[in-house]
Amino acid sequence: MTTVTIERVSRSFGSVHAVREVSLEIRDGEFFTLLGPSGCGKTTLLRMIAGFCELDAGSISFGARRIDTLPPHRRNTGMVFQNYAIFPNLTVGGNVAYGLHARKVPAARIAERVATALKLVHLDGYDARWPHQLSGGQLQRVAIARSLVIEPEVLLLDEPLSNLDAQLRVEMRGEIRQLQQSLGITAIYVTHDQEEALAISDRIAVMRAGTLEQVDKPDAIYRDSTTPFVAEFLGVTNLLSGTITRREGAHAVIKAGATEFHVEGTVTGLGEAVAFCLRPEALRVIAPGDAIPDGWASLEVLISRVEFLGALTRVETQLADGTMLRVALLDQPLETLSVGHALTLAYDPRRVTGFKAA
Amino acid sequence: MSVTLPRNSFPLVVTGIAFGFLGLFLIYPLYRVFGASFLDASGTYFTLHNYAKVVASAFYRDSVINSLTITVLATLTTTAITAPFAFAVARLPVGGKTALLSLAVLPLVLPSFVSAYALVLLFGHAGVVTHALEWLGIPFGSIYGTPGIVLVYVLTLYPYVLLPTVAGLKALDVSVEEASQNLGASRWRSFWTVTFPIVIPSILSGALLVLIETLENFGVPFVLAEDKPIMAVEVYKLFVGETDTNPASAGVLGVLLVCSTTIAVVIQRRYLGRRRFATGARRSPPLIEAGPGWRSLATLYCWTIVLISLVPFFAVIEISLMEYRGPVLHPHFSLENYAELLRRSTRPLENTLLLSTLAAFGAALLGVPIGYAVTRVRSRLTAILDIVATMPFAVAGTILGIGLIISYNSGWLVLTGGWLILVLAYVVRKLPFTVRASSAILHQIDPSLEEASINLGVSPMMTFARLMIPLMLGGIVGGMVLTWVAVASELSATVVLYSGQWQTLTVVMFQALEGSGAGLAAATASLLIFFTVIPVTLVYRLLRRYEMSLL
Ligand SMILES: Nc1ncnc2c1ncn2[C@@H]1O[C@H](COP(=O)(O)OP(=O)(O)OP(=O)(O)O)[C@@H](O)[C@H]1O
Ligand SMILES: [Mg+2]
Repeated sequence: MTTVTIERVSRSFGSVHAVREVSLEIRDGEFFTLLGPSGCGKTTLLRMIAGFCELDAGSISFGARRIDTLPPHRRNTGMVFQNYAIFPNLTVGGNVAYGLHARKVPAARIAERVATALKLVHLDGYDARWPHQLSGGQLQRVAIARSLVIEPEVLLLDEPLSNLDAQLRVEMRGEIRQLQQSLGITAIYVTHDQEEALAISDRIAVMRAGTLEQVDKPDAIYRDSTTPFVAEFLGVTNLLSGTITRREGAHAVIKAGATEFHVEGTVTGLGEAVAFCLRPEALRVIAPGDAIPDGWASLEVLISRVEFLGALTRVETQLADGTMLRVALLDQPLETLSVGHALTLAYDPRRVTGFKAA
Repeated sequence: MSVTLPRNSFPLVVTGIAFGFLGLFLIYPLYRVFGASFLDASGTYFTLHNYAKVVASAFYRDSVINSLTITVLATLTTTAITAPFAFAVARLPVGGKTALLSLAVLPLVLPSFVSAYALVLLFGHAGVVTHALEWLGIPFGSIYGTPGIVLVYVLTLYPYVLLPTVAGLKALDVSVEEASQNLGASRWRSFWTVTFPIVIPSILSGALLVLIETLENFGVPFVLAEDKPIMAVEVYKLFVGETDTNPASAGVLGVLLVCSTTIAVVIQRRYLGRRRFATGARRSPPLIEAGPGWRSLATLYCWTIVLISLVPFFAVIEISLMEYRGPVLHPHFSLENYAELLRRSTRPLENTLLLSTLAAFGAALLGVPIGYAVTRVRSRLTAILDIVATMPFAVAGTILGIGLIISYNSGWLVLTGGWLILVLAYVVRKLPFTVRASSAILHQIDPSLEEASINLGVSPMMTFARLMIPLMLGGIVGGMVLTWVAVASELSATVVLYSGQWQTLTVVMFQALEGSGAGLAAATASLLIFFTVIPVTLVYRLLRRYEMSLL
């Protein structure tokens, strides 16, 4: 029921611009993720929404209601903290009931709602337990139940999984996503883990040094990054540069060192410098004698390193001028990949993303 | 362009109340004392004459020199003796450690002037031990003057150095030492290059407390200085003295005294502010394995200090149970001193209990929110508040007392002669205790707990009351008990401020010592010990469980 509108919001600490002129429109019921490297201002932006950090300029509204002038305890947001922030002096039940007491909900209703919330996070029957008797994952569930039970307009999560071990993170992120979808609540999620962001978000905003770099759906962010920064931040990629030498049908041809790459579209004018990226998994090995798929381009490389990861094999190769090109191959027989040997690779020019020279 | 208003009024309210209170009962009285030192005899014109007079007087010059000499000697001796003690307790397998640490807290309970008097009773001109030695034909020097005063300070104030140093050594993470040894330093070398530098701030913070205490102390030199002039005593005599009351000169000496202590406090804050080696110990360093020789030496050393420091206790209790006829001690067991004490009046005991309790609650009520604001809200205002709330450390009790009297004996607010002025003086003086205790415990509470509460819809003010107070309870109670005990044995402000029916136990002791009622004084002191030992022991047990230090 709540859209979140952030308009030209800024905040600096001394000379550090933590958040600079950020505008965002988060839709009702959307799972929206703020993604970016450490120190880029994600937490600051989230805390501005929660009310724990003052705005230097700009405004924040829930629906048509402006909330950045409200004190934090009257904003009706549910925040899940990185370190859980479970009150050690209250039981699990007491923690979950805390916000309901503040809202003067009648006692009978409180018991009912606490039970429902605990059930939602698979902690039924844990009411009377003390926080120190719970594991990290269970504490995080209590924290989630505690913020959901007050039926907040927006759920705010600041790296809620970063204190958990790898396997639990994967499990919990699925649960959080499922819970959010079944309740239809608007959620803003902060993380610096790109895989986590891609896995659970409806949309992602990539932040860099206090500003928004790109806001889009996960696959668009990954496949059609609009800046080299986004392309590099979202997983392994090949970031190359060259100049446009000619056009060939719908493609532009970029000469990078001694190798020519084909890109769909025009990117920029002839003779101009461009940066472009090509994801390692977009490259395919063409066995000797096999044909290159229709409309695809090819190139020759030398294998310099092979890393077998099970399902995936990562290969580092060298172009003719020595530039490194990473390749990720699914289910490729290892004997076809010996270091020092030549390899023919092919790719779909649509998978090359060109960036106008910065 | 949007205007951002402070949405959390709680720190503002706290800061406002704190400034109001300290302004009225600390700053203004001090201002009046300072003012008195700059006014002529008629009290209307500005003059530096009072300063000229004091500086020109050899007597007052000596009082300044004596005070500073004694302070420096006492601080250096206490630190030099106590630092090895702390290290031994923290890191060596010393025998009877728990008992040792519990007993080491006791000197904080007994008013230091009573310790001084106990020493006089034992080693003074007519002391028991002096007589015995004379009888044996062994010559014995004097306990009076500088050596005796320094000795009493060392014996009563060493816990101020011991407790923070032990805490500092315990808070050291073992990995720091291991890293040093891993990099090739011998154990000895890594002690001097890593361990010792890390605990220096703890040692210094204790040493500076000793320094301030000794500068301000009034009771010990009163008993032991004989004719030697001492600043804190002369201030009292100039103000209260029967013959030559002179608020202006008292003001001059008061200014000098407050300036000296302020310099010490400022140095402490500056130095320690830049050196915070909170390592957030995961694992305390293990005990050092020492041979039986070292082990017995360390045990002997620690127990000797503690036992000597307890001599005044035993002496006081012992003497309280003996018969006195006039000033002459008779070695008979008797409860006459206690009977005499009860015959007189139980009012002083009741007063002490009542006033200490009121002061402890008052200091907590004011100090806990201040500690909170200072630790959790970072603004220019709270930075100033932090400094103002530490100021009472630097103000001697006598001077605060004099200031309160000058300020509130007439005009819109008259407080002299009642109980309230005593409680106010105590609250102001002991405020740093509760402020420190509550900020110490706040450092252990994650700030996101508060944010979680506020986020769930509880206002900051209610979050403080409903969540933070319960979480801080251990520290708050600890601070309150320490305040209670400190107030129960307070003398310097009380002796200036009390009137008629509001005599406390310490005043009774003081008057008995001035007169000839040593037995009565000892009985009173024993009574005080009885009422303060139990809470102090309990609190330190509590604190050790929380592994925190309030000093
Ligand atoms: N209270 C503060 N005082 C001063 N600087 C701050 C404060 N809070 C944040 N900053 C600065 O603002 C910038 C953004 O901080 P923020 O905490 O929002 O980063 P983040 O994206 O959440 O990083 P991380 O992933 O490490 O949590 C950083 O440079 C940080 O140092
Ligand atoms: Mg962050």
